Amino acid sequence: MAGQKLYPRATVKKIVKAHSNCNVSKNADVMMFLDYMLFMQTLMKEATIEAKQGGERGITARSVKKVTADSLAKFRG
Amino acid sequence: MARESRHPDATPTRRASSAEPSASIHRRSILRTPGSQAARGLPRPQGLSASGRKFAPPTPHARAAFRTIDSRRAAIFTPHRVRRKSLREVRDSPRDFLLSLGRVLARNTEVITTSSSSPRDEDKTPGSDGAGNDTTLGMISVGDDDDDDDEELPKRPRLSLPIGEEDDDDDSDDLQPHRSVVIDDDNFTMQSIEMPRRAISEQPGGRFSMGDTRMSDYFNTNDMLHSEDIGVDSGFFPPTAVLDEGNFTMGMDELPSPERLDSDRGRESDFGIEVPVGDINESTFMIAAQVEESPDRAPAAADTDEPMYDDYAPLADQRSDDLDDEDLLGGVPTLEDEPVEARSEEQQDEAETEHAATKRAEMRGSGKKTIKVSKYGIEYPSLPPAVVKRLAQNFATASGAKGKVTPDAMKAIMQASDWFFEQLGEDLQAYAKHAGRKTIDESDVLTLMKRQRQINPNTTPFALAQRHLPRELLQDLRMTPPFAPKTRRKAKGGAEDEDVT
Repeated sequence: MAGQKLYPRATVKKIVKAHSNCNVSKNADVMMFLDYMLFMQTLMKEATIEAKQGGERGITARSVKKVTADSLAKFRG
Repeated sequence: MARESRHPDATPTRRASSAEPSASIHRRSILRTPGSQAARGLPRPQGLSASGRKFAPPTPHARAAFRTIDSRRAAIFTPHRVRRKSLREVRDSPRDFLLSLGRVLARNTEVITTSSSSPRDEDKTPGSDGAGNDTTLGMISVGDDDDDDDEELPKRPRLSLPIGEEDDDDDSDDLQPHRSVVIDDDNFTMQSIEMPRRAISEQPGGRFSMGDTRMSDYFNTNDMLHSEDIGVDSGFFPPTAVLDEGNFTMGMDELPSPERLDSDRGRESDFGIEVPVGDINESTFMIAAQVEESPDRAPAAADTDEPMYDDYAPLADQRSDDLDDEDLLGGVPTLEDEPVEARSEEQQDEAETEHAATKRAEMRGSGKKTIKVSKYGIEYPSLPPAVVKRLAQNFATASGAKGKVTPDAMKAIMQASDWFFEQLGEDLQAYAKHAGRKTIDESDVLTLMKRQRQINPNTTPFALAQRHLPRELLQDLRMTPPFAPKTRRKAKGGAEDEDVT
């Protein structure tokens, strides 16, 4: 986080542009990535809880998959 | 009830014992003893057992009564008494049922009457002999009172009962007190009764020995007829043939019948064999082919990587190809086809796993580094895995997860993030278009975050940005913000006010 860029801004812009078929204003991608970070936070938190409930050691694909749908629904606009 | 009418003495045994034994006994004694002498004599001796017994009982009936009373008393003092009482309650054992059934059936034969009458005679005869015993028993029971007599009386009825049987029953009851054993025996009998019925067709182990004996018997006869053949057969054809012969040798068959039986059994057994034998080539090949196919499928499904894709692939197709349902349908067969190619590739080179992965990705139309196509036909890259992994790891440790995020979990997270951006783009597009713009603005993102409840009066976007974003990006945010953030906040506050009002 310190030395390198947090994320490739151009990539995020491209992704959103491709999905929305719209242009993305100059600094909107920052807020988008902020939203993405919040989503990741939620996702990992839920996955951790799920993993602990499932008695797993660490986060596994299963826990992440189980939580993905809910997290996405939570971030539905 | 019928029994009572017939043998008033016999039936009351149980009921009298349960109801009011003493009175019944007195009545009986009165009834039985023809003379008034005995009637006088009996009640006293029972009441005053010691004195009454020391004197010789006047009549044989009185002796019998004394003897029975003494026996009861002795029985009371025996430790098994409790068991007997318990047995009375349990009385409904299969054997009792059989006895009652026999009595019902015995109406015609009146066997019971003879049996009951004979014991009476026996009672009379031993009664005289038992006089000496009576004295001894009387000595033992000297201390007993009327209460004891009352207690004793319950058993009295048995005497009148088909005495021989009942007394024998008493003896057997003394043995039976192993109630568990009795029950087991009953069950065993029940089973033994049922088993043969079932077993006649099957007759597994139990009859085997029986069959052996019979076999030996019949083999002697058969040996007389055909010496070696059957013996060899019995030796080699283990249980079924033997059993069959054992069962059906009842009819004293010669060789042909066991052969028939064997052939019947053998036909079924051979039936399975014969079909392959008859169609050796085809059927065996069919089986072989199936055997070959199945293992191929199984490992393909067993691959750890593929299920991952299989789980997501349909959904991914849905999401990326919402326009085309055919792609969904087409996606499934491709998935089925993938394992085949994967197999071949694995067989060719396992070192080219990456190549295979890229091929799979191409098959699905989605690759990690390779370009994916959105529903608008626009190619787009995915976030670099390193960035996602760093974020995931940070948030995972922050949320208390131990260890590192596994590669499998990373795949799932990448998939989730792809879906997230897809959803994000659609939502932002909707907001922008709703605002009449062709460009997604920051306000759209803010609206979205507010709708996601990520932004609320307590958490401002600026605070979130400050918490999560590095300085550079904050500065980028501020670049526009110096005036923009305030306007945003005002706008946001106004929006909220509008919502509230």
